[in-house]
Amino acid sequence: MERGRLLVSLAVLVGLALIALAVVYWVEPAKSLPSWLPGHEAGSDHHHVKHGIAAFLVGLACLVFAWFRSAGPRPRSAAV
Amino acid sequence: MLGLLQGFSELFPISSLGHSVILPRLLGWNIHQNDSYFITFLVATHLATALVLLGFFWRDWLRILRGLGRSLRNREIAPDDTDAKLGWLLVVGTIPAGILGLLLEHKLRSVFASAQSAAIFLMVNGLLLFVAEALRRRAPQPEHGDPDDRIARRVGWRDAFGVGTIQAAALVPGISRSGVTMGGGLLVGLSNEDAARFAFLLATPIIGAAAVLKLPELFGSQGNGVRGPALVGALCAAVTAYLSVRFLMRFFETNRLTPFAAYCLAAGLACTLYFLV
Repeated sequence: MERGRLLVSLAVLVGLALIALAVVYWVEPAKSLPSWLPGHEAGSDHHHVKHGIAAFLVGLACLVFAWFRSAGPRPRSAAV
Repeated sequence: MLGLLQGFSELFPISSLGHSVILPRLLGWNIHQNDSYFITFLVATHLATALVLLGFFWRDWLRILRGLGRSLRNREIAPDDTDAKLGWLLVVGTIPAGILGLLLEHKLRSVFASAQSAAIFLMVNGLLLFVAEALRRRAPQPEHGDPDDRIARRVGWRDAFGVGTIQAAALVPGISRSGVTMGGGLLVGLSNEDAARFAFLLATPIIGAAAVLKLPELFGSQGNGVRGPALVGALCAAVTAYLSVRFLMRFFETNRLTPFAAYCLAAGLACTLYFLV
């Protein structure tokens, strides 16, 4: 149970971080990105829109995973 | 002519990109796959193909979207909810393909841009199709019941992720998206018919998203002078894509990938030899 909770918290954190990263990619030109981020390019005004979309998709996937994983156990009716 | 070819070869497991690189070279047309006007033209034909696929399977997509909504609302994928399961399988398969496509498309297209490499990879595509048929888990036989139900029961999450990931191989001209996904479907235990259905469902969001992402190029200054031919090409692609999907869904009820594998091997070999001489 503890492990499940940890996994959900981790998925939410990573999901939110990736969505924030996506916004950074969309807003900031390549020259303004931190040097440790993929896509950083000194002097370039190019916006890495595709990197942003990729980060957003993975972030969204993490949040969806957390959404399903955090649901409690459901009582099942005998009749189907 | 390129529009007709695109709509036809996008859905047949023979690589549309490979053919659109090889054919201009064979016919001596001054077209290069990285030319901006050619990319703009391809955007229009891809969009037409995606719309045709969406239209052909619109009832399935409606059910899948309802299933996705239901599972999100209930926060679970009920064991008997095959629409929800199929929907999430498509999501799981689309994410790796989409990410790899976004990150690698430009690099792979630049590295493997030549007609020679496309011809060689067309042969590789043929071999992959042969191997998929040889290693398939399920013997080809007519099946009964709802195909979406069969897909949801037989394909697991890892399978969907794997099949989605190998879709990215189609970024290399000569490797067919529908070919590798159909092959992947056979390897995870689907019949030819179900593998084709899963491949077409999986292809729709990817082809559509790729086209929508590049729509600004079609409607921007880059599209000046190309929009007319692109519209004609898109209409031609739509017609051949519709005929292709209709034909293939019937063909794979009783047939295998083998004829397409043989064609890819033969055409790839012939083109490689021609370009060498």
